[in-house]
Amino acid sequence: MIGQSARPLAPVAVDRRNFIRLAGASAAGWFALGASPDRVRVVASLIGLPLGDPLTNRSAPESATSRLSALIQGMTERGWVEGVNVRYETRSSFGGPAQQEAAIREILALKPDVILTSSTIETAALTAATKTIPIVFATANDPVGNGFVESLARPGGNVTGFTNSTAEMGGKWLQLLREAAPAIERVGVLFNPETAPRAGRFFLDSIESEAASTGVTVTPVPINDATGIDQTIRGYAGAPAGGMIALVDSFLVINRRAIVTAAAQHRVPAIYPFHYFIDVGGLMSYGASLEVRSADYVDLILRGTRAGDLPVQSPRKYELLINRKAADALGLKLPATLLARADEIRE
Amino acid sequence: MNEPADQDTSRTPPSRLFRKYLYSFVALAFAALAVNTALEVWFSYREQQQLLAATQREQAASAAIQIGQFIGQIESQLRWLSRLPPDLSAQEDERLNAIRLFRLSPAIAEIATLDALGREQVRVSRRLADKVGSQADLAASPAFLGARASGIYYGPVYFFGDTEPFMTLAVLGGGNDPQVTVAEVNLRFIWDLVARIKVGSTGKAYVVDRKGQLIAHPDLWPALRHTDLSGRPDVQAALAGTPPAAGGLVKDDLSQRRVLSTYATVPPLGWLVFVELPISEAYAPIYASIGRSTFLLVAMLAFAVLAAFLLSRRMTVPIQMLTQGAKRIGSGDLSLRLAIRTNDELEALGDQFNVMAAHLRDSYATLERKVAERTAELEKARDHALAEHDAAERARNAAVEANETKSRFLAVVSHELRTPLNGVMGVLQLLDDGSLNEAQRRHLATAAGSGETLIALVDAILEYARLEASTEALETRDFRLDQLIQTAAELMRPQAVAKGLAFELSCDASLNAHVHGDPVRLNRVLLNLIGNAVKFTAKGSITLKAALAQQQDALLLRASVADTGIGIASAMHERIFEDFVQADDSIARRFGGTGLGLAIARRLTRLMGGDVTVESTPGSGSVFHLAVPLGLVESATSQGVPRAPSRALRVLLVDDDPVNCEIGEAMLGRLGHHAVIATDGASAVERASCAAFDVILMDLHMPDMDGVEAAARIRQLRLQQTPRIIAVTADVSRNARERLAGAGINKIVGKPILIKNLCDALEDDPQEGSETARLAAGTLIDERFLSDQKELLGAQQIAKLCELLEETSETLATDIARAAAADDRAQLAKCAHRLGSAASALGLVRLFEACNAIELAAASMSIVECRTAGRELDTLRQASLHALAGLIGPERERTSAGAPAVQKEARQPGRAGFLREEAP
Repeated sequence: MIGQSARPLAPVAVDRRNFIRLAGASAAGWFALGASPDRVRVVASLIGLPLGDPLTNRSAPESATSRLSALIQGMTERGWVEGVNVRYETRSSFGGPAQQEAAIREILALKPDVILTSSTIETAALTAATKTIPIVFATANDPVGNGFVESLARPGGNVTGFTNSTAEMGGKWLQLLREAAPAIERVGVLFNPETAPRAGRFFLDSIESEAASTGVTVTPVPINDATGIDQTIRGYAGAPAGGMIALVDSFLVINRRAIVTAAAQHRVPAIYPFHYFIDVGGLMSYGASLEVRSADYVDLILRGTRAGDLPVQSPRKYELLINRKAADALGLKLPATLLARADEIRE
Repeated sequence: MNEPADQDTSRTPPSRLFRKYLYSFVALAFAALAVNTALEVWFSYREQQQLLAATQREQAASAAIQIGQFIGQIESQLRWLSRLPPDLSAQEDERLNAIRLFRLSPAIAEIATLDALGREQVRVSRRLADKVGSQADLAASPAFLGARASGIYYGPVYFFGDTEPFMTLAVLGGGNDPQVTVAEVNLRFIWDLVARIKVGSTGKAYVVDRKGQLIAHPDLWPALRHTDLSGRPDVQAALAGTPPAAGGLVKDDLSQRRVLSTYATVPPLGWLVFVELPISEAYAPIYASIGRSTFLLVAMLAFAVLAAFLLSRRMTVPIQMLTQGAKRIGSGDLSLRLAIRTNDELEALGDQFNVMAAHLRDSYATLERKVAERTAELEKARDHALAEHDAAERARNAAVEANETKSRFLAVVSHELRTPLNGVMGVLQLLDDGSLNEAQRRHLATAAGSGETLIALVDAILEYARLEASTEALETRDFRLDQLIQTAAELMRPQAVAKGLAFELSCDASLNAHVHGDPVRLNRVLLNLIGNAVKFTAKGSITLKAALAQQQDALLLRASVADTGIGIASAMHERIFEDFVQADDSIARRFGGTGLGLAIARRLTRLMGGDVTVESTPGSGSVFHLAVPLGLVESATSQGVPRAPSRALRVLLVDDDPVNCEIGEAMLGRLGHHAVIATDGASAVERASCAAFDVILMDLHMPDMDGVEAAARIRQLRLQQTPRIIAVTADVSRNARERLAGAGINKIVGKPILIKNLCDALEDDPQEGSETARLAAGTLIDERFLSDQKELLGAQQIAKLCELLEETSETLATDIARAAAADDRAQLAKCAHRLGSAASALGLVRLFEACNAIELAAASMSIVECRTAGRELDTLRQASLHALAGLIGPERERTSAGAPAVQKEARQPGRAGFLREEAP
């Protein structure tokens, strides 16, 4: 720490005694604050959600579970005090390629010390934009396949982060959906090819494999326009009994309210990958528990560890959330195995 | 202590004693404290270290137990699941049970149940869709085989999804056909455990599997990177089963910090839990303890210094007071009282000091009183002594005065006695007109003898008086010692011979020297000693021996006069040298005399720095020894040894005789001169004109040219440097001299040439003039000779001799005239010889030469010539005597005016005898 503080001072050719005095004084000051002693670091975040989305609102009641607030809390625990030695900047790529490009430009202009990304799309755009600024992604389903890292254990470049699901999860979603609504004969897989991993194919294989062994028809339902959501979901209403699987897709997260509303309106049982959907009234979700440990990596990177040396972390816990109200509304009787598995049942 | 002393103490700087005490106390305190602190720190350090290691070991053990429990819990859950009897539960129930187990154990990612044949019955997964009754054959899997073999199977750690450490755990169920339950356990959940283990505040605990692979680490990510620690020596040792070191191991951890490390083994798995605490933190309490101890040491030391300061001060202040008190008492301030209130030995010492001072004060007072008394006494005694001294001084002055008066009286009386005595003596001489009969003449002789004795007595008294008055001073000059002694001997010999005594003179060759001294006084002493010998010896002989000895840079004359006289008793050997003392009273009656002679002799000798002693036996004679130191005379002419020339001269030797030439050349060569030979006058003139010579030795008789003529010619050459011309001739007659003088030759060397004469002639400074020159200038008297004689004999004697000469010469002159008239050549020659002899005694050289010439020529002279010569001789005699009278006249007048008789005893040898009265 003293060494780092010495770096900007050295060119002023402060004599050694003064340097030591200064270094000692500043070090003491920073230790007193429990913070890193040097300049204010910039931690930039590029998110896919619009800035007005409640999930991005730090002061929202749900903020404890929001990624950014968790990060800030974790960072404060590690000595990085906002406004003292760290500054958080958030930019949104919401609104199309032009907005994304502008957001990336803005972020690079800030000369951030580390950039956090929320999903695969932003990560891919940023890794294309910089090979030097460390990038930590929060949810990337296939970082090796997307070319962000060389391997999970040793990423090698300037990118590391966290994965939140694996390709096999598709089969698990179909199984859980069928347990909740055993009458389902056809299932639509909802995703936006532009924002879903590998244009949706990442999960489709395992879903189709599970469907084949259970006699359910699975249809990919690509969608890239929020206005088409209601129409699309309506297609699975009525007989034969249909169901919906929402893939890991920021587009879907952004439009979660419209999807959940449409599913409820058209009485289509649906399973989602994140609890955000349940929060707005969705039937059930199964996915990796969002143990946000990005503060750990940001801290290490700010203290000099290379991002490429930090392994990509995979999720270790999976959560099943069930909205009993939604289930009752759909007239579904939940079996014991499902209830036994559920981590949370919302009444 | 009184007030001023107190002030003194406060002002003085810390004394040496104070410093000594202070340093000693401080050193002692420091040593004790330092040793104590050092030991304390050392033991505390050791204890802390042990404690630390023990704590860490416990932490490791605890962590190992927790991890073991973690696995054990899963294991027991699996056992519970596997032991449910299969016939009691449908497969669906089994699935439900597995799902329930998931809820219990988040670490279990997947559970599969295999029947006894290894066929999969149910597979429940968190990630995958569950499978029921798939009947997949897993009989060959290691988990199934392991569980079947030993009831439980711990699979190796593997990384799922590249980053997640997993382990397979399988248990064998109960019953006849036990099923096997296989679980995949996500070991990342151990992270929660190890992250919870607090090792100090910055220490860490981590888990390593049996292969050295890092499984769990509080930082999480090192474990996810498949960190392999099997290469680290401590991990290797631990895996090999070495128990951990008792005090822990100090090593570098993954982030290269120095840590104190220990470990424990997780029992069923063989994993290792390492617990590492950074050294800086581990030893912080030790350092804090050391710091505390150091601070305490410093504080104690400061306290010790303060205490030492106070203690030293307490100890030294009374000592300083004592010191100063002692100093003031030493300097005499006895009124001082020391006030030391320390209530210990020092106070006692101070009191003792006060007592001592009081005693001293008393003693001092007594002493002062006594001193005052004694001083008074001494003053009295001093006054008395001073008075006595004054009296003695007055007495002494009176005595000195009296002595001087005596001397003056003696001198006056003696002088006054002399005048009438002279009259008496004169009349006595006149009385003998030839008409006296034998008896009358005898009476007259007796009277004359008595008169002379009386005169001698008076003279002796006079001299003694002068010596007594210390008015005698030595008159030193150079003189020839042999001459002096011989003259003295010859003077006394007639008396001895007249008494029928043999007189022997034995002079050592060393006497043949010029010396420096007082010849007159020396002569007087000699005459006195010889005179005494003659006086007191009736028969036998008198022997005079003399020798001169070299003594460092001076000479010592030793002379002895031995007689065969009456001798002196040994008791009288010293007394006879005292004033007015004779060997016995009868001596005076028998021999007469004043008893002053030897006293005067000794005084004179001592005045000269010598002494006179005697050895004698009554009846067999006496020997008087005289020792007188004399000065050395540098002049070597008298030594008879050719001295080195002052410079080498170029000499022209002119002689017709080849033998003479050769001898002359040899002599010149020996004297260091360079000689050139000329065998006749002509060649001499020629050589002189050719080369420059310093000296020409000219033979006078040469066949071709007379030496005189040759000399004249050489002079006429008017050479730049005129050589000195020395004539060499056998003819030293007056004519010859006159002729030579006319030719400018002022020096003659007689033939045959003696080397000494030649040397003298050559070395003589021409300016000083030579004997010959003085003579040639028409001098009648050889003044140097005369003065020598005068020194030798004294002026009075000379005057007397002068008178004698006047008488004698007149008689002889008459005789010569008579002989010339009678043409008695023989008588003429005889008379001329006697006159010449007499004249030579007083240095009348011209007269002597004239007499010589007449004596030689008498036989051949005509009668006219004889008469002329006789007349001329008489004229010369009168002129010489006149000149002599002119030279010694003043002294004769002085003699009659002053103390005329002092030297009289030497004037007439016959009267010297009176000096010998004291001899036996």
